[in-house]
Amino acid sequence: MTGLVGALVEAWDELRVHKLRVLLSLIGVAAAVTAITGVTAAVGMLGQAMREQTERWSGRETTLTVSAYPVTGSGDAARASEAMADVVERYSVAYASRVGWGQMAVELPGGTQILSGQVVDPAYGVIHRIEPGQGRWFAPSDADRLAPTLVVNQAFLDALAVPDVSGHPTVVLQGRQGVLAEVVGAVPDQYPGEPPTYTVLTDQVERWGLSVDPWGAGASPPALELWVPPADVPALRDRVDQDLRAALPGWQVDVTEPVGEAGVLDSASRWVIIAVSGFALLLGGLGLLNIALVTVRQRIREIGIRRSFGATSGRVFFGVLLESVVATLVAGVVGVVLAVVALDALPVDRLLGTALQDEPPFPVSAALTGLACAAGVGALAGLLPALWAVRVKVIDAIRY
Amino acid sequence: MLELTDVTRSVRLADDRVLHILTGVTLRVDAGEHVAVVGRSGTGKSTLLNILGLLDSPTGGEYLLDGASTRRLSGRRRARLRGESFGFVFQQFNLLTGRTVLENVAAPLLYARGRQFWSRNRLAAEMLERVGLGDRLEDMPDRLSGGEQQRVAIARALVRRPRVILADEPTGALDVDTGTAVMTLLDDIARESGAALVTITHDLAVAARSGRHYRLADGVLVPVTLVSPDRPGSLAEWVGDVPTLGASTDGAPAPRAVPAGGAP
Ligand SMILES: Nc1ncnc2c1ncn2[C@@H]1O[C@H](COP(=O)(O)OP(=O)(O)O)[C@@H](O)[C@H]1O
Ligand SMILES: [Mg+2]
Repeated sequence: MTGLVGALVEAWDELRVHKLRVLLSLIGVAAAVTAITGVTAAVGMLGQAMREQTERWSGRETTLTVSAYPVTGSGDAARASEAMADVVERYSVAYASRVGWGQMAVELPGGTQILSGQVVDPAYGVIHRIEPGQGRWFAPSDADRLAPTLVVNQAFLDALAVPDVSGHPTVVLQGRQGVLAEVVGAVPDQYPGEPPTYTVLTDQVERWGLSVDPWGAGASPPALELWVPPADVPALRDRVDQDLRAALPGWQVDVTEPVGEAGVLDSASRWVIIAVSGFALLLGGLGLLNIALVTVRQRIREIGIRRSFGATSGRVFFGVLLESVVATLVAGVVGVVLAVVALDALPVDRLLGTALQDEPPFPVSAALTGLACAAGVGALAGLLPALWAVRVKVIDAIRY
Repeated sequence: MLELTDVTRSVRLADDRVLHILTGVTLRVDAGEHVAVVGRSGTGKSTLLNILGLLDSPTGGEYLLDGASTRRLSGRRRARLRGESFGFVFQQFNLLTGRTVLENVAAPLLYARGRQFWSRNRLAAEMLERVGLGDRLEDMPDRLSGGEQQRVAIARALVRRPRVILADEPTGALDVDTGTAVMTLLDDIARESGAALVTITHDLAVAARSGRHYRLADGVLVPVTLVSPDRPGSLAEWVGDVPTLGASTDGAPAPRAVPAGGAP
């Protein structure tokens, strides 16, 4: 105990005495650790930003998209929808949504309008990372509610002549009969001048017969999106394909796999960072070694004096080694702190052009790797002087 | 407490000859005793002191510490014994550069254990107070005069409460008056703590302070008696070939070098 503390005190004192030189060589080590940690974190954020952007459009990375069309003439869209619901239930897919387009007659203050909107299941919001600016997205229980709920765009709210969704605005939808629907959430318009639009749940559309068919073309069948664990993709793909073909004879069924993209940038840039950081670490280590060699004469005498106090050769070895390990570790900690501060201060949102929904966690592993590398470089740089220090002959050292 | 019997020390030189530095030293130092060793430069006084302090090992003969042989001690054990039992004072002070006076005196306690370790700064400050440097704790050694530096070294040698203080020409780098003051301090402080003091010197006035005196010449230690410390004239006779007080003795012939395996 006192041995370890003593060695640490000694190492720290030694560093204090050679402050400036040590500091200079440690800048490299600190910079390297900052680079390793900071850039890993930044790359993580950039990747996440790209992924989220993509996912808003095409769903999460491992989303299977199933589409089905009647090959001959018209098919029963409702039957397709039901078959899809069966598949979801059979394979217990936690996040699955039918996705279709619908037309509904909406009674707005300015008169009844036929508006088109999306018809989905509640999980669609998770798959596409939808976070309404106001109110909320659909909860699974909304599908079982008697009255339909709507998530609308800003233009829809304007048409309703309500400022926001806080007052639980309602609107009458004309279906087989009129039904009062509650607006539970609103998203900003996607582009200026976007017409009023809405999202409604498939189950509600079916329950109330909300879908109007202005051109008489028959409701188009929905697609099905399944967000599944990557490992399940191949098996599920084939099963879903077979089951739907069996349930929908005469239909064309397509199961589309996700296109893998993200991660390319990840691995390529990581290697560059590692190479550059490794180089910086090496330079820092050489700097430390240089200090050790420059101060050799003084050290010989000091080691001799310390031996006269009762320092064992093990303690001398450990002390000299620890000196550079403590130094590089301190530099490493400084590097990690710098990286944290830098990432915190950077306007990530503005740089990436988008706010992150799931901010990737700080790369603790990268920080630890950086620290470990720093300590390793310290140990390597300290090994030579330490080996040499135990070979110092005490009587020669204090003779002069 | 310390007992050397027929101790020899020889070293092999670069040109493969063997240099016999000590050829048969017998010495006994008891607890609290003050012993002085005089001799010309290069006669092996430092070698003798290093052997006593377990910094060096005899080539032959026996060194008993508290009655136990030191021959088979491990390096680790020697280091511990050295730290616990001996305090060194060197001619060139050997203070650690870049460390404050306080840190210098506390440094030996870094190798101590328990209470001594944890209260090292307090113990060091107390010791510095004792040597009259209580107000210089945070100064760097190079800001101090030679006499003050040697007082720091004395505080450092005593901070672990050693049983033996080994002083290798402690006044060698000081002027006569300062040297006298430093020796007075060293004598007093050793006496207070009950430590034995072995002083090596070629200054006769310094030697005269000790209870027993030896002269190292030709690799052996010869006891000498002091005729009278009040009569400087007798001192030269006493040490024989040592030149006048305090003068340099460099250039004296080194111990004889004889071929390896040859007779001493
Ligand atoms: N390790 C060694 N290698 C070679 N010569 C040595 C060694 N140690 C001591 N000597 C020689 O032995 C002699 C005695 O040295 P030392 O004990 O320092 O004498 P003193 O302290 O009396 O002046 C000197 O001539 C010195 O050069
Ligand atoms: Mg000497």
